[in-house]
Amino acid sequence: MNEPLDREALLDLVAAYALGVLPATQCSLVASFILADAGARREYDELRATADLVGLSAEEPVDSARAARMKERLMATVRNDASPRRAPASATRTSAMWGTTLAAAAAVVFALVSVIQNFGLRSDLHESQTRVATLQTRIDADRRTVERDRRMLTDLTASDAKRYTVAYGTVVTRGEHVYLALGSLPPLAPGKVYQAWTLARGAKTVAPSVTFTPSQNGLTLVPIPESAGNLTAVALSVEPQGGSRQPTTKPAFVQLLGV
Amino acid sequence: MEDGARLMERVRARDVDAFEQLYDGYHRLVFGIALRIASDAALAEDVTQAIFLKLWSSPDTFREGNFAAWLSRVTRNRTLDAVRSRANRPLEEIPADVPAEASTDATVFARIDAQRVRGALSTLSEEQRTPIELGFFAGITHEEIAQRTGIPLGTIKTRIRTGLRRMRESLSEAVSR
Repeated sequence: MNEPLDREALLDLVAAYALGVLPATQCSLVASFILADAGARREYDELRATADLVGLSAEEPVDSARAARMKERLMATVRNDASPRRAPASATRTSAMWGTTLAAAAAVVFALVSVIQNFGLRSDLHESQTRVATLQTRIDADRRTVERDRRMLTDLTASDAKRYTVAYGTVVTRGEHVYLALGSLPPLAPGKVYQAWTLARGAKTVAPSVTFTPSQNGLTLVPIPESAGNLTAVALSVEPQGGSRQPTTKPAFVQLLGV
Repeated sequence: MEDGARLMERVRARDVDAFEQLYDGYHRLVFGIALRIASDAALAEDVTQAIFLKLWSSPDTFREGNFAAWLSRVTRNRTLDAVRSRANRPLEEIPADVPAEASTDATVFARIDAQRVRGALSTLSEEQRTPIELGFFAGITHEEIAQRTGIPLGTIKTRIRTGLRRMRESLSEAVSR
């Protein structure tokens, strides 16, 4: 997505997001648009409610044996959970079963490792483990990114989020999270960045927070790392590349939180 | 049967009978969605068990709105997570999950059932219905939908939007009748 998108193209992305087909990498763009444009938010709410219902078309009878088996298992767990007196005995049985199972699993693992050693495959094993560890690191990183985006979008579209209209967009707080969703920031001169500032409770001066440059679409979503509960205000100014310790230009906005 | 949202209020008070009614009323929906997504009855069964146990252990995850629609989204997200955990896919191929929170507009269709949704989907043209169903049940991005169908991405995006709008109009008409 190298070209700036017009409003209709962005509304198409809102529909894609409402259905759940928008690539995770484009989330922040759509979230910023939804926050900056009341019409887009309405469109999202309407299409989201509609898209959620698509699943209902898949409802179908479950064969009676399967349905009975599932229900029996589920209700046994729920009834057991609802009557605490029966829990300890069950827990003991479960622990004993787990103990046996774990012991058996440990024996199998030990035997396997011994066999591998006997065949002199230690180096192959190490290589495989390294590959697995690398893949796992990548999967974990991807998962963290997806989780972060999911949390961010939940916060931004939540009905209980607090939204403060500021110059160029909206400041959103929900729980401990603070976001700047900015829709029309002026382009920066070379060597300049935007910098967020936070005012902590009881503090007399603002503290430097994140720096950023707006996206090509002019839509920018900035999570503020500081906790909302500790802040009384956020502000934004233009600063030299790398950021400043104190604001050096007139703020684009200063917004009190919790008012 | 009582409305799902009301049953959930009773489940919050640890009412086992309410939970049983909830299961009787909605297991076909949960299992049906999971099976359609995973094409694996054993996995669909596991997902169904996990979702209902979660409803019992954390009933506050549902707050308000259209319970069936919320449950439908939760089931979709959960099943896709289960399916994806079996395959290592790059981030750009993973669609962003839609939060399972009820949207502010969800109460409008609070009493819509499966038959009406199928009716609304049937009012769409094949060109509109296919990307919507693929998107919801296959858990793929709009770019992958374009690749699978051989239709340009821009056209797919527009068809999803116009299709959802058309579906909404049909459902609104059905509700007002």
